[in-house]
Amino acid sequence: MASIRIEGIKKEFSGNKVLEDLSLRIPDGAFYTLLGPSGCGKTTLLRCIAGFYEMDAGRLLFDDDDMTRVPTHRRDIGMVFQDYALFPDKTVFDNVAYGLRARGVAKPEIGRRVDRAIGSVGLSSLAERYPAQMSGGQRQRVALARALVIRPRVLLMDEPLSNLDAKMRTQMRDVILDLVQEARITTVFVTHDQEEALAMSDRIAIMDRGRIAQLGTPEELYGMPASAYVADFVGSANTIPVSLEPADPSAAESGKARYRLCGRLLEGVRAYAGGGENAILVARPEELSLAAPDAAVENAVPASVVRRQYLGFKTSYRVRLREGPEIRVDLSAVNRTTDFHPGDPVQVSFPAHGRIIGE
Amino acid sequence: MGILKSNWWPWRVLTVISLVILGFFVLYPLGVLFNNSVRDESGALSLAGFAQLIDNSLFLEALRNTLVLGVSVTALSAAIGVPLAYMVARYEFPLKNLVAILPVVTIVIPEVIVAQSWLLILGNNGLLTNFMEGIGVELPSFYGWNGLVFSMTLVYYTYIYLGVLAALRGFDGQLEEAGLSLGTSPLVTKWRVLVPLMLPAVAVNALVVFSLVVGNFVLATLLGSRVPLLSVMTYNEFVNEMGGSPLLQSAMSVVSISIVGIVLFLQKRVVERKLYTMTPGRAPPAARVRSGAAAVFTGCVGFIIFLSILPLIVVFVAAFTETSGPVMRWGVWSCANLLRIINGASEPVVNSLTFASLATLAGVVFAVLASYLIIKKRNGLTQTLDYVVVMPLTISGTVMGIALVQTFNTGWLVLAGTSAIMVLCYAVRRLPFAVRNASSTLFNIPDSIEEASISLGVSPLLSFFKVVLPVMKASIVSAAILMWVTTIAELAATIVVYTGGLETMPIAIFRQIDGGRLGLASAYGAVMITVILAPIVVSIKLFRINLFSNR
Repeated sequence: MASIRIEGIKKEFSGNKVLEDLSLRIPDGAFYTLLGPSGCGKTTLLRCIAGFYEMDAGRLLFDDDDMTRVPTHRRDIGMVFQDYALFPDKTVFDNVAYGLRARGVAKPEIGRRVDRAIGSVGLSSLAERYPAQMSGGQRQRVALARALVIRPRVLLMDEPLSNLDAKMRTQMRDVILDLVQEARITTVFVTHDQEEALAMSDRIAIMDRGRIAQLGTPEELYGMPASAYVADFVGSANTIPVSLEPADPSAAESGKARYRLCGRLLEGVRAYAGGGENAILVARPEELSLAAPDAAVENAVPASVVRRQYLGFKTSYRVRLREGPEIRVDLSAVNRTTDFHPGDPVQVSFPAHGRIIGE
Repeated sequence: MGILKSNWWPWRVLTVISLVILGFFVLYPLGVLFNNSVRDESGALSLAGFAQLIDNSLFLEALRNTLVLGVSVTALSAAIGVPLAYMVARYEFPLKNLVAILPVVTIVIPEVIVAQSWLLILGNNGLLTNFMEGIGVELPSFYGWNGLVFSMTLVYYTYIYLGVLAALRGFDGQLEEAGLSLGTSPLVTKWRVLVPLMLPAVAVNALVVFSLVVGNFVLATLLGSRVPLLSVMTYNEFVNEMGGSPLLQSAMSVVSISIVGIVLFLQKRVVERKLYTMTPGRAPPAARVRSGAAAVFTGCVGFIIFLSILPLIVVFVAAFTETSGPVMRWGVWSCANLLRIINGASEPVVNSLTFASLATLAGVVFAVLASYLIIKKRNGLTQTLDYVVVMPLTISGTVMGIALVQTFNTGWLVLAGTSAIMVLCYAVRRLPFAVRNASSTLFNIPDSIEEASISLGVSPLLSFFKVVLPVMKASIVSAAILMWVTTIAELAATIVVYTGGLETMPIAIFRQIDGGRLGLASAYGAVMITVILAPIVVSIKLFRINLFSNR
């Protein structure tokens, strides 16, 4: 167990800057997720922490130990790979025992610890199987047991669930969280799946082109995205260009702001400091609601329905704001009162806490 | 995804060492050969050698014959190999599974045995020749074009068969279905969809066959008789010029290297660019054929297989047949020839075993190291290594032997006349195959298992031994076997580099055939095939590996 400190790390591959002056502190025992689309540098960062890549600049510390120049095999890490990377010629038992043998642990203790590790992932009966004889989920469990049995200082996981089918993926989330929490081990988890990130993490770092776009708890990222990029990557969001009204001094204090959209004056919350008239309103589909054109609703603009998709627990509408862009509105099945159909004129009402961010 | 840090010093040092070794034993001899081809008697730079060749009508005839032979054997091999592959890939018929033995057969039966057994059947005093004569039919002489084209086609068609079979099996059947769904008839669909995609595979393997025919010495010299061919002429010149200036042998060697060089260049530049990568899809299921057609299919395939394994049968029967001088007394059994080998003339057997073992050991160790560096530890130098390691492919056995003898017969390192040159010659010649073998496995081993080992606390070097090597075990064994098998049967280079006391089994067989003692030759042949087969059988049993799966 250790905290991880990354200071000003830089990494480029043949002139292509993958990590640009990135710093990060991961507290001891945290489940920390690096989230981003492919090519954002998340795997590169993980492999720098593991020591598979040498960093071009910067420092890496586990607690107060400088790991920058320490080779991988002396960093005392546990790593779970996307393709599991089980040794195909070794049984489950031998795979899990591999790291302990490398550490010169006494034989009886190896037996005890391996048995317990295999048991903890629910594979006790398969100890003598070879990787080729097991399903993807089972292999993933072996990989997890193998990484944890050595009680590493930090656990690194590189998209460990991406090769599993949807159902197995949600099941494995629980398995991973149970084991990691029990071992109270600092975990760095790389994924491009936002749902996975939200469900599992204490904290998430969203990465964009080699930098950290935003850092925070799942709730902060979902509720208070700092940019259109983050808003769109975590959950889905409508990002609508609006023009800000000059703020009156009394409202500026509370963050309240007024903006103009489709000729109407609406109210929202200003979430950035910059000046200028042009801004972007971030509105998640489920924060919006629809009403009949003659209904008395506040903070609303006129629109018409383009398409309706029935999804069971909710109905998703595409609506075109009058003289404005198309946006998505989701109405949950529970509190939906009326239904709308393509061509219907409607009003889209925006929440009074709608976040306005800079361009 | 990524590659392990490759600047870690041991890998770099090993790359440099490998390059130095290869440079010294492959590039340097080739350089000596090229240099010798442009020097006159006094050592001055001159093109006299090539000028002499152009004026020599016999050489021009040999060159033309070699090219004609190459083209005809390649065409015939394709004519047999392509339909055979199509039948096997697309149809289900009785006894089809017999074709599985074809690749083994080609590798196991040495050319010298093929030549010898067909001489026993169709030679001047052959079984079938005499039988036909008895009923009043005179068969054309097997020596010359007939024998050359016939035997080489039988030896080389499997290359095209195996290559095309692999391509057909990798073909995505949905492409043909797409063609049909778009409204072309089944025949037109095959013509427009299947044929264009298969053509490059046929061409690649046809070029391989062509270059093998050009370099072939064994069948050429045993069956060529009065047909002058480049490889035989080069060897004769080597014998002629022994002790003198090696001008003409070098010039001819350079010509032969150039021909193969051009072919390989064509293959790289023209054909390989046309090789399409297909998403591996479902190969269409093999169709069951109706009874009438099935008989034809089984008949055709059975006949080809029969011709391919006939040498194996003939050589064993002949080994136990009584002989009096050159005359085989078929039907009269005897162990005399075998006993003669065991009691008095076992030196070639011992030599073959020793040289092949040493060459296999050296070759496999080097091949594993080189392919690991090339595939897993890429750096600026490994690219060069990758090129140099396949260079021996362009050089026929005879030429390789000549280059080694020319290089290592004087100077500070004299290897000519020692057993070291035999081992060296074998190891170098088979290196490209062993490297290719090991590389394909390494390529399929994900980097992540090595990284997993390192992340669990095992150093990179130790991880290679604990994780990579065990996974490679099967391919190392199969590379070793292939190397062993082909070096034991090697003749083209051996005949150039061997000296008294270093005689191997193929040399012994060659000399017995030359002296017309086919019985004794067969006895050596039987022993050789046994020695070749033994490790294959053992390793299949021991390691439970599939040696010849769809390569």
